[in-house]
Formats: sequence, structure tokens, C-alpha cells
Amino acid sequence: MTEDRARSLPLRRMASAVLPILGAAAVLAALPSVWFGDSPYTTSLAVQALVFASYGVGFNLIFGSTNQLFLCVGALAGVGGYAAGILANETSQPMLVAIVVGTASAAIVGGLLSWIAVRRSLGIIFTGIVTLVFSLGFANLLLGQRDLTGSETGLIVEGVPSGLADDMVGGYYLFAGLLVAFLIVFRALQLSHIGWAFRALRDDEVAAELAGVDVARYRVYAATVGSAMIGLTGAVLAYSAGFISPATYSFDRVDVRVLVMVAFGGLGTLLGPLIGAGVFAILDEQLTASLELREVLYGVFVIAIFLFFRRGVVQAIVSLFDRFSGRGRARHDLQPSRE
Amino acid sequence: MRAVVLDGIVLGLAFGLLGVGMTLVYGLGGVINLAYGQIVVLAAIVISVVMEDGRATFVAAIVGVLAAAGVSVLLDLTLMRPVYHQHGEERTLLGLLLTLGAAFVIGGVLTWRYPDGALYIFVSGDPISIVGVPMSVGSIWASVIALAVAAVLLLFFGATTFGRGVRSVIQDETGARLVGINPSFVRTVIFALSGALAGVVAIAQSMSGPLTVNAGFELTTFALIVTVVGGLGSVAGAFLAGVLLGVVNSLSAHYIGQYITTIILLGAAALTILIRPRGLLGR
Repeated sequence: MTEDRARSLPLRRMASAVLPILGAAAVLAALPSVWFGDSPYTTSLAVQALVFASYGVGFNLIFGSTNQLFLCVGALAGVGGYAAGILANETSQPMLVAIVVGTASAAIVGGLLSWIAVRRSLGIIFTGIVTLVFSLGFANLLLGQRDLTGSETGLIVEGVPSGLADDMVGGYYLFAGLLVAFLIVFRALQLSHIGWAFRALRDDEVAAELAGVDVARYRVYAATVGSAMIGLTGAVLAYSAGFISPATYSFDRVDVRVLVMVAFGGLGTLLGPLIGAGVFAILDEQLTASLELREVLYGVFVIAIFLFFRRGVVQAIVSLFDRFSGRGRARHDLQPSRE
Repeated sequence: MRAVVLDGIVLGLAFGLLGVGMTLVYGLGGVINLAYGQIVVLAAIVISVVMEDGRATFVAAIVGVLAAAGVSVLLDLTLMRPVYHQHGEERTLLGLLLTLGAAFVIGGVLTWRYPDGALYIFVSGDPISIVGVPMSVGSIWASVIALAVAAVLLLFFGATTFGRGVRSVIQDETGARLVGINPSFVRTVIFALSGALAGVVAIAQSMSGPLTVNAGFELTTFALIVTVVGGLGSVAGAFLAGVLLGVVNSLSAHYIGQYITTIILLGAAALTILIRPRGLLGR
């Protein structure tokens, strides 16, 4: 009897590790036929939500797992997107090479930022300010290098395979696949020894260091992998949209949104970014009329989330539900990794 | 060359004035107020609305300063209360995020109600020659205001009992409480002062050029750069950093180009954090 239970435990843990991802993949696969049908508008909203969810997973790995406040998600995506786009335009490399180079550039930049922050032992705030400064500097670099980037008018990415830019539903599946892959990487990291190190250093940095966890190394790991995810998303976006401009990757369009979304879904959780992105896609659909009111609403959301739902709105709802149904603990896949 | 440096000093005094309101609040409670630029814009819009109503510029300016101080106190009494229950880095992070939210709310409401709102206070008079360089009366006024504010603040913190009380809270919150100073009250006063300074920034900035409704984010960025370079919490540091950055800005914009100049200023902030995290004159 006891042996049986002992053997079934890893199996059950495996199931609880994989099931949420499978569920998310199934929902994403079924969504086109049940929700947006033929409307290009709703399709583009869904694609945008997927892009932001993918950014969110990367940001979640960096901030949610290892407490590094990277306020340069848009800039990292821009590094990926512009590196790919400029390479494609200047040397007419094939798409795959350009995307790989874009992803690698973003990973290197993100890893370097993290390495600097770790080496100078900047706290969470100074890391935030340095990365914010990097974001703004990058935006100015894009504006200044008119010959390469086309400045405000933007850059048309050449060599896009025919069909990719026109086929919205195809683009949807492309980003859905990307997101599911990111979720698998995120979960695999959580379950491996790296995940243990993440949890340890998130809970108590000094204690983790004393217990033999190389805090600096794991921070740089998380930043490199997370930045690669963000850069890959940015590079693929450059190809699927066929056109990029500084606005595509600007701080106020990308970073604020990603921060709100991830915080809404729950920092450090697996499905948080996906849930946040979905909720905000619906919100955007309802609020098409006024851009300014949307801004106000974002502000209210930021304040409400950080005042009342520090562990995410989803987590709050789940624990409320659990209290009523008498279940003692929250669902595993929605629990922050630090627990 | 002389004209460029003088331009830089004028710009730098404006930078210093911009940074000082942010650095005071940070020094006191460890809160980086990301809504600062939006409060400046709020003051500007209030002034322009009152002026359109037919009131004198002077009256409108006072109303604007009071409005900015009022909003600032409101922020302190509502959003900042839970922030001050936290300590250390947690406090700064929560303050950062909540004021970011407040920045979006204030900025959003202003652009929604006054999409074309702008303030430009025109000061008439012929350009005055200073060391052989003709300067517009507006920018001379702006510099005079900045210098006056710097003098008043330094006097306030150096020579008045309340100012010393504020400095004691900056140095040691618990110790200040022990000798009978109420940190919470001091913080509210400083928030009000910071808001009033935001109003003064709006007036000074709009004397040398129009201040538009969507300038908030840029103002916050520059205030943050000045605050970081000057040393968090230091009035003299903010003005020193402001003038330094202003001169660098003018020289670089004149000889290299505007985009690179912004990158140089941002780089200065990043380098300060990396090499000397407490800033030029920070403790």
C-alpha cells in the first residue's frame, strides 16, 4: 500500500506539472474556432495577447523567479526584432538565421545587464532604474540611427516568407506554439534544481547564499533565458508583422502592460502571464473608444493590484474559492514559485 | 561656445529645480515619486485654465502651485500610507509601483479632458545681454526662480528648527521619533513642498517654451536622472547635478546631436549608479 503511494507520488507530480500546460495548449488550439471566427480584428487582438503573454513568461522568469526588476522588456524585444530586421535587410540572410541572431543578441544584452547588476550588487530598485535607463537609451538609439532603423517611420522587414504576413490565423498558431514552448521551458526550470535555487534566493537571498546557492550565477541564468524568450518573441513579431518601429517596442506600450498583466495573473506563477494577457485582451476589446480612459484604467489596475492583491488577482480568487469549497490549499499550478 | 555654456547653465538650473522635488521625497521616505512629472503637468494645465478664465498670471500661478501641492498631499494621505508600513527595499518598490499607477491616472485624465492643453507664459521684454550673450527675459526669469528656490530651500534646511527636524528624519527615523518629531507629519509637509515645487517647475519651464499635456513622462525621466546623479535626498546635489548635466547637454547637443545627447545623459545616470550609488553629494 505505502509502496504504491510512494510510486504514484512522482507520477502525480508529473501530472500536475504537465496538465496545466496541456490545458493551456488545448484552450489555445480551440480558441480560433470558438471565439474569433473570421474577424481579422479579434484575430489580431488574440495575436497581440499571445505576444504579450510570451513577453510575460520571460519577464516572469526574470522578475517573478529571481527578483530582478527588468524595466526593459520592450527594449529587449526591440533588440531581438531590430537585430533580426536589420540583418535581414542589410545582408538578406534567411529568416531563421535572422531570428536566431536576434534572440541571441537579446539574451546577451539581458544577461549582461543582469551580470552588471549582480556584480555591482544593485538592489531591486537600482536594477529597475538602470534597466529603465537602458530602455530609454535604446529608444533614442533607434531614433538616432536613421540609416539602419528608419527612425520613427519604422523599418519594413524584407524576406518575409509569403503567406506569413497575410495569414492571421497562421500567425496566431505560430505565437501560440511559441508560448506553449516557453511555458514548457518555464515549468522544466521550476522542477529542476535551478527551480529550487530560484525559490531559495527569492525567499531569502542571504540564506540562499549561505546554503551554497550561487545567487549571482542563477540570476544571470534567469535573465539570459528570460531575455532570450523576450528577444525571440520580438524577432518573430518583426517577421509576422513585416514592419517594426520604435513604437512597437516602446517602454510605455510594452513594459507597463507586461508588468500589469503579470502582476494581475500572479508573479512567479506558470499561467499568470497567460491569464493576465487574456483578461487585458478582453478589456482592450471593450475599451476601443478611448485610449486615454484605457490609460486611466491601467493606472487604477496597477494601484489596486499592488495595494490589495500582492499575490495576483487570480490567486486571490482561487484561495477564496478554496475557502468556500473547504479545500485547504490552493491549486499547485497557480501557486507562486516562492512557496 | 560661451553662449552654449550659458544656455547649459540656464537649462541646468531648470533641471535642478525639476530634480529637487523628487529628491526631497526620496530622501525622506525612500519613495521615488514616478508621478512627479504628471503633477508638474497638472499644475501647468490648472494655470492655463485659470488664465483662460481671465485672471492675472500671478493669481493663476498661485492657484496652480496650490493645486499641485494639494494633489501631492492627497497622494501622501492615501496611497503612501500603506507604503510607509513597509521598510527598506519593499517600501521603495511599492512606492515606485503605486506612483507609477498614479502617474497613469493623472496623465490619462489630463490628456482625456485637455487633449491640446499647454502652458506658455510669455514674458515680454528685449533680450538682455549677459557676459556678451543675449538671453531672453523668459529664461532669465526661469533661472532667477530656480536660484531663489535653491537659496530658500538651503536656508530652510540649514537654519530653521523645522528644517532641522526634517533632516533628522532623513538621517534616522527612529531617532527622530524618540526626540519627539512625528515622521508622518514631516513627510506630509515635504510631500506638500514637493508638490508646490512641481508647480514652480511648471511656471519656470513654461517661461522659456510651451509645456504640453504629454510632457509628464519626459519630466519624470529627467527628474529621476538629476536625482540619481545628484545624490538621493540632497538639495545642493540636485542643483549641482542639474547644472553639470545641463552644460553637458548643451555642449553635446551643439557639437554632436540631440539623440546622442539624451543617451549621454542617461549614461551619466547609469554610470553614477554603478560607480557611486549614493550620487555626487548623497550621504
